[in-house]
Amino acid sequence: MRKLPALVQNEVLKLWLKKRFVVIVLILFILIPIFTYAEHKVVSNHREHFADWRNQILQQIADLENTLSSDRIPEEWKRSRRVAVQQLQYYLNHDINPSEPSGVQFSREFLSNSITLFIPMLVLAMGSDIVSGERTTGTIKMLLTRPVKRWKILLSKLCALTLYVSLTIAVTVILCYLISGFVFGYGGWITPVLTGFRMEGAVIDSSSVHTVPQWRFLLMQAGLCWFSAMIVAVLGLMVSVLIRSTAASLVTMMSAIIAGTILSSMSSSWRSAKYLFSVNLGLTGYLEGTPPPIEGMTLPFSLIILAMWGAAGLFVSFRVFTKGDILN
Amino acid sequence: MKTTRWLWYWLAACSLLSTVVLLTGLGMVLNDLKAVPAVSETKPSPSAPSETTSEERVSLGNFKEIRIVALGDSLTKGTGDATGKGYVRQVVDGLKKEFDKPVQLLNNLALNGMQTSQLGERLSNDSGYQYAVKSANLILFSIGGNDLFLSARARMEKKEWAMLGMDELEQDMEETLGRFRSIIDQLYELNPSAKIVYMGLYNPFYDLDNLRIASLNMQQWNKEAYAVIHPYPNMMMVPTFDLFEGRIGEYLSSDHFHPNHEGYKRIAGRMLEALD
Repeated sequence: MRKLPALVQNEVLKLWLKKRFVVIVLILFILIPIFTYAEHKVVSNHREHFADWRNQILQQIADLENTLSSDRIPEEWKRSRRVAVQQLQYYLNHDINPSEPSGVQFSREFLSNSITLFIPMLVLAMGSDIVSGERTTGTIKMLLTRPVKRWKILLSKLCALTLYVSLTIAVTVILCYLISGFVFGYGGWITPVLTGFRMEGAVIDSSSVHTVPQWRFLLMQAGLCWFSAMIVAVLGLMVSVLIRSTAASLVTMMSAIIAGTILSSMSSSWRSAKYLFSVNLGLTGYLEGTPPPIEGMTLPFSLIILAMWGAAGLFVSFRVFTKGDILN
Repeated sequence: MKTTRWLWYWLAACSLLSTVVLLTGLGMVLNDLKAVPAVSETKPSPSAPSETTSEERVSLGNFKEIRIVALGDSLTKGTGDATGKGYVRQVVDGLKKEFDKPVQLLNNLALNGMQTSQLGERLSNDSGYQYAVKSANLILFSIGGNDLFLSARARMEKKEWAMLGMDELEQDMEETLGRFRSIIDQLYELNPSAKIVYMGLYNPFYDLDNLRIASLNMQQWNKEAYAVIHPYPNMMMVPTFDLFEGRIGEYLSSDHFHPNHEGYKRIAGRMLEALD
């Protein structure tokens, strides 16, 4: 057992030396200023046209309601818009600005927009070749001929991956805050945010709605992001064990995740799609109260489904890795 | 070897720390799921700025800035205007030219198909609407057209217009007028110092022989509505019926119900002429 920390150290340093993490930080350094600029444009546009945020929300509600009366809009879209109207109305009635621009608010927005696609992509960029890469280069034989149990090797890889997933999300949040705060200010920690909206069809059940300070909301979001990123990492690990080629394993995982986002937007007609992992990745939506991709999905449901996929992924990867033959 | 060791320590420390923090966040979510705290149903009605000059005559010239809110149905929304301006935006543009002070359209809250009952309900229950009405000093609105049109259409399913018992339609109109009266009262109560402009109705079917007679009902509505508005010195009604009688082809949009850009321009022109 004493060997495990050393193995984890080895894996962490191997990943570091591949410079993947540096690439991720660079990508964030390029993307976040772009989004900050876009957000800044939106905010200044609103400032120009509206006397204060209440007028802006009122107008937003009126515009949404006008689209509701149109027969051209599909029923599913109307459902989510009705929910949005009720939610905005709730914010208005409680005199809370739902989107007061600040560094914390931007980070919150960024996380909720990147949880389904961007963060999984970063995670896969890091870990999708963690096993298959060793096969391609042949180093797997070196590793497995050492007097170390195979499950320990895989476990050390999993631990290293976990550490990097945490690091990625932490760095994302910190960079978002630092870069966007430069434009929007570094405040907004204690701004109240409403959470706990429950959906029943197109009606919001607001009996459990309550406010949390924004720092807490951001932390909760980051926790959910971490959870869904971990599931992606575990499944990526499994695919990496199963498929020998790095490119193929990357493509497999990416297409699974992209399929999830497409299915989420088509929604409703195929209801059992809610058991697929990639449809459930958007966990932060439940905190904000956006309607789930498929009716009947709730936060506990998604957490359980993801946990089950994760457990299955772990089982398969350990089983195959410890029992399988290493050929080539 | 020494540098890699330090690197490892750093990486391990940072990533373990962030893992712990993120797990705390996840724990908070689970905690939040369990606890269902009672909502404090506080409804702080935001105090809006309003110039309390109810004693003197309300005139746009006395305002430091003009803040406009538009309410009502599709006519106020500007349905039918391909440029999306409607009469509201054209009034705003006209006021900008006419007055040497800031003119801002706070909100155009008009909804397609809105009826008197809906507007009345929002004004009495929706704190957002109340806020908007309180913070404006010029309110433009149109209402009643949908009530009258729907009541007439419901009756028409059975018989020709000319055969319609006038008393049936009149009964509907009486009810609509009652709701209109309470809307006017609410507007005055919410903001007695704002200039309020009501857009009179017109008959879009003037060119159809069998529906031309509906103009008489329309005029009756306009007369009654004017009687409701008249006691309030800060309110005015702008008639529009005559604009559309001879020039339906020019001023109505292709749905033969709403004005087009030119039609709205004429309505806006009337309002600008009347506003002092």
